[in-house]
Amino acid sequence: MKDSNMWSFGTRQVVYAAIGAALYGVFSWATNFIPLPSVGNVTFRPAVVIPAFFGVAFGPLVGFLAGGIGNVLGDFLSGWGFFWNWSLGNGLMGLIPGLMAASVVSFKDRGTITKAIMYAIGGVVVGMLFASLTEMFTSGIDISTALVGYFTPAAIGNAIVIAVLLPIVMVAYDAVAARSGR
Amino acid sequence: MLVTWKYRPRGTFLDSLDPRSRWITSFLILFAMVPIWHPYVMVGYFCLSMTQFFLSRLTWQETKRVWFFIIFLIVIVIGLNAIITGRGGPGEIQRLEPHVLWERSFNILGATWTPNITVEKIGFGITQMFRMMGTAVLFFIIPWTIDPSKYGVTFSGMGIPYRFAFSMDLAFRFVPTLARDFATTVDSQRARGYEVERLEGGLITQIRRVAPLIVPVVMNAIVNGEDITNAMDLRCFGQDKRTWIGKLQYRTRDYFWIGIGVAVFLGALYLNWGLNLENFFVPTWFYGLFGVVP
Repeated sequence: MKDSNMWSFGTRQVVYAAIGAALYGVFSWATNFIPLPSVGNVTFRPAVVIPAFFGVAFGPLVGFLAGGIGNVLGDFLSGWGFFWNWSLGNGLMGLIPGLMAASVVSFKDRGTITKAIMYAIGGVVVGMLFASLTEMFTSGIDISTALVGYFTPAAIGNAIVIAVLLPIVMVAYDAVAARSGR
Repeated sequence: MLVTWKYRPRGTFLDSLDPRSRWITSFLILFAMVPIWHPYVMVGYFCLSMTQFFLSRLTWQETKRVWFFIIFLIVIVIGLNAIITGRGGPGEIQRLEPHVLWERSFNILGATWTPNITVEKIGFGITQMFRMMGTAVLFFIIPWTIDPSKYGVTFSGMGIPYRFAFSMDLAFRFVPTLARDFATTVDSQRARGYEVERLEGGLITQIRRVAPLIVPVVMNAIVNGEDITNAMDLRCFGQDKRTWIGKLQYRTRDYFWIGIGVAVFLGALYLNWGLNLENFFVPTWFYGLFGVVP
């Protein structure tokens, strides 16, 4: 079911990176019209499960492109402009979970799901930390502001969404993966 | 739920440029400004970005959302910098002797917190505002001014591996189809009694309620992806380097545009290491505005 080299980028990866990016972009944009749960200044964006899931299912490069390009697409569609460092941060959010792609045996296995959540939350931390800290150079904020104002709300919101939605998507994908015959 | 890209041809000078030259110049200017905090240079940086904005002939109506977003972000960031962190910016501001305009002590759970506002913090906040606006304006016009169908060939032409660039190109093409699928799914779930607008229950329940919208669209896209992969494999995708339908070619105006970026970059290096003008300072006249003697 898995490619032997998780860093390979063949036709399948090209297509799934594009699909992941397009899904992330569309969900980021479409959920503008749906009320989202929020606590304080933390908004929970369900779309963030996409790069994490595509990383776990198809490898780190697919996750990276799904997150990076998908964030660009979402910003383009919503009219937020272009923030390159946040797009790279979103890419990392898909890349890190992809590092466990080679070890997936079954997408509904409890251990695999737990491991996927851990990797995905690690990806959220690394990705959002990267984006927040690069703001120090682009916007000149200090580290406290980067951590309190940017990193904490983004990381908490994304981590909770991933912990809730990633298992659901993985279990649903298990049947599809078995059917694909690859 | 129709997807519309923000781009439309406006017949401007920016439209006529090769997108590669736009990206190269924007990043050159961005990297040039990273180490510099000189307030007058920051004003110049902002003016440079605004010149590009005016060249794009974008209207307020088109971009007001992003302007509000940027202004909101700046207010939050500068407010946090000045009040919560009690610093007002990176290290360089701390070497300036503070001229306090307002100060108050609060006792919170036995700890004393003394936020203040100084002339230096205000000066830094204004400099930071120009910097953040300059950076935001430099890049946010991209969706409105670069044709989405050119991203693949643009990044391929900038040295990004062909397959990555193709993936990017494909993603732009998939968006309308997937947006339509999403709209169909929302309608189908509504027909089954799913109330999209209803937000109730705990946090976890609320997030879980989004799953019936996401899962069908993702799974359907993945199943269709197998067909696309097979079709591409059958056409020998990836066997040899492929060409793009659209071709990009640098022209004189592109070299001119990149030249501006290079000039700004080299100028910034000279300001930084040649003239040592990279540090933040508060101009004497600025103290005068608050009736303070520096």
